[in-house]
Amino acid sequence: MFGYKLKIEDDLLEKLKKCSEMAGYASVDEFIIHALEKETTAILGADTSSASEEEIKKRLRGLGYIE
Amino acid sequence: MSRTKWLLVMLVICVAASLLYSQLPARNRYRGDHKLIILGIDGMDPQLLERFMAEGKMPNFAGLARQGSFRRLTTSTPPQSPVAWSNLTTGLDPGGHGIFDFIHRDPATMQPYLSTSRVEPPKHNLTLGSWVIPLGSGTAELLRHGQPFWNILEDHGIPTSVFHMPANFPPSASKARTLAGMGTPDLRGGYGTFSFYTDDPTVQAGEVEGGEVIPVMVQNWRVTANLEGPKNSFRKGWPPALVPFTVSIDPVSPVAKIAVQDREFVLREGEWSDWVQVDFSLIPGLESVSGICRFFLKQVHPRFQLYISPVNIDPAHPALPLSTPASLSRDLWREVGDFYTQGIAEDTKALSDGVLDDGEYLQQAREVAAEQRRIFDAEFPRFHRGVFFFYFSSLDLNGHMMWRLMDAHHPAYDSTLAAQYGDALESFYQQIDGVLGKVLPTLDANTTLLVLSDHGFAPFYRSFNLNTWLLDNGYLALKPGANQEEGQYFANVDWSRTRAYGLGLNGLYLNLKGREKDGIVQPGSKSNALLDEISSKLLAVRDPSTGLPAITRMSRTAEVYHGPYTQDAPDIIVGYNRGYRAGWKTILGAFPRQLFEDNTNAWSGDHCMDYTLVPGVLLSNRKIDAQSPALTDIAPTILAEFGIAPAHGMMGHSVFQPPAAPQSQTALLGH
Repeated sequence: MFGYKLKIEDDLLEKLKKCSEMAGYASVDEFIIHALEKETTAILGADTSSASEEEIKKRLRGLGYIE
Repeated sequence: MSRTKWLLVMLVICVAASLLYSQLPARNRYRGDHKLIILGIDGMDPQLLERFMAEGKMPNFAGLARQGSFRRLTTSTPPQSPVAWSNLTTGLDPGGHGIFDFIHRDPATMQPYLSTSRVEPPKHNLTLGSWVIPLGSGTAELLRHGQPFWNILEDHGIPTSVFHMPANFPPSASKARTLAGMGTPDLRGGYGTFSFYTDDPTVQAGEVEGGEVIPVMVQNWRVTANLEGPKNSFRKGWPPALVPFTVSIDPVSPVAKIAVQDREFVLREGEWSDWVQVDFSLIPGLESVSGICRFFLKQVHPRFQLYISPVNIDPAHPALPLSTPASLSRDLWREVGDFYTQGIAEDTKALSDGVLDDGEYLQQAREVAAEQRRIFDAEFPRFHRGVFFFYFSSLDLNGHMMWRLMDAHHPAYDSTLAAQYGDALESFYQQIDGVLGKVLPTLDANTTLLVLSDHGFAPFYRSFNLNTWLLDNGYLALKPGANQEEGQYFANVDWSRTRAYGLGLNGLYLNLKGREKDGIVQPGSKSNALLDEISSKLLAVRDPSTGLPAITRMSRTAEVYHGPYTQDAPDIIVGYNRGYRAGWKTILGAFPRQLFEDNTNAWSGDHCMDYTLVPGVLLSNRKIDAQSPALTDIAPTILAEFGIAPAHGMMGHSVFQPPAAPQSQTALLGH
């Protein structure tokens, strides 16, 4: 209901803030989410459980730019 | 009470009041009277605007240009609307906001996907017989990163309203009033799927681009059919939810009565219905999804032909988030009635497919423009302070569809149709002039007006099939024995021998080791040399029928983008020459045999080319100091209007400030 909260030590948070700024992320939250997404994809592989390839292709078809 | 005690009590009261004040919503703290109005006009082209102003057809724009400022506005790389409006929204380039094209690919699976949002069904389900009970709800996720300017404004207490901003579905969490725009799907989850019902045996049934042709039988002057809605995730196999409807045809007159759920209405041949609300039942009596659609009775006799628009998310009962606050879409519905919520509302595919003809398409497109105007007319008078942004789509979509009827050089030019509809685009420009005419009298000394477009426009005469070129030149290989012209989505590509591929309207990617699923190109000096080689060869390609270069700019994203998402971008943005664009089939990984093709599609104007060839426009009632303003300057300009410094990473500067004088070499050296 309230999402998942994670406690991060101050030292690590400072490092995260620094990295986020250096890399040009809009916020430290955005950096953390992006980093976690990349890491989980690296470990678990790409998420193929969502829409099927055919379904994705169907969705693209309505775009005027493609045939 | 002693003086000391009295002072202490007063101090405590002051601190408490200050704490209480700081907890109040930011919106309540702005006391200034400065106003900023932004009219965002997708695809307004500076050359066409200048022509119409010179011909006296856009007097309000001419007056604004004369008394204020008019500049060309540098667009994004590439100049595609989701990219361009994201540049404007965040003040970042694509490396910062992560939108590079209408279409991205996942390098781990090589699957293409819509770049701006992802709609996911529930991850876990409980199966009971033929019923599947989702545990938790599905989600919609905005894939554009970076901080939108309206959130920064609201954090500073500036009230902000933003209507129909592209690449903002689902709307990012915000205290501002925002309504989603381009990128919002229909109820079937795509860019829009129309349904066309006919008993004409010569019309091929099945899926067509952007829609579906459904064969029906007329029996006893009656047609019974189903309207397809969203996938029913409560049923095993996720069959589509259906709404049955019947059409009773008058045997003599070109009239029919349509009955759908508890609604009945009569249409004459060639008539559009009002919006019709339909409920798609997912679990009978328990769970349903509401949508809205419009019926068009194209023909009654001799053949039955009925078009139904894509089923839009119902703004009164949105199945997916459409606005912030969530109540805004319902409030608007109460005021103006139903309206298109689908991000690209003009049904361009129905025209390209021949399901609607030019006149029928224009009727629909004019209704879209009229709806946007109704929302504008309802909301603009409410605006008294802060920032008001409103987006208009009609110049872009009708620039795409109507270019061929005002350009005799176009391969799809038709003199008969041109005589009828050759001025259609011009009339949409004039409608926008009418909107400006409503705004101009409201301007006072405290109000700044910006009128801008994300890019300009150009003819789309010839297609260039990038993947065919890569195949012909040995950068891409097909599996042994594969037919070049069969399959889409790189179905027959031999990735173990492929070094580069094109995807999307302007993207060229290397098949990079460690990034792509079956990457073979070593990152570093080898990949750089390969990019140089491909770039120089593509820039040298000439169209044999015109002698013109097909491509005039190859932008290396590692050099032109800034920010953490550059690593997800294409390696090169291909900038096509004016008149040229990526071929229809190359965009999603097919290989037509011809390298160049005439574009005979109704989609006849475009802008997905070299960004320097299709700048947008920027007009203001104030003097614009910047000589070459860019889309990335707009967010800093908006913030500067309220004394707010650009946010971290923003690249541009206020267009109302003279550009900083370049530092001399001596100064740089510290002498």
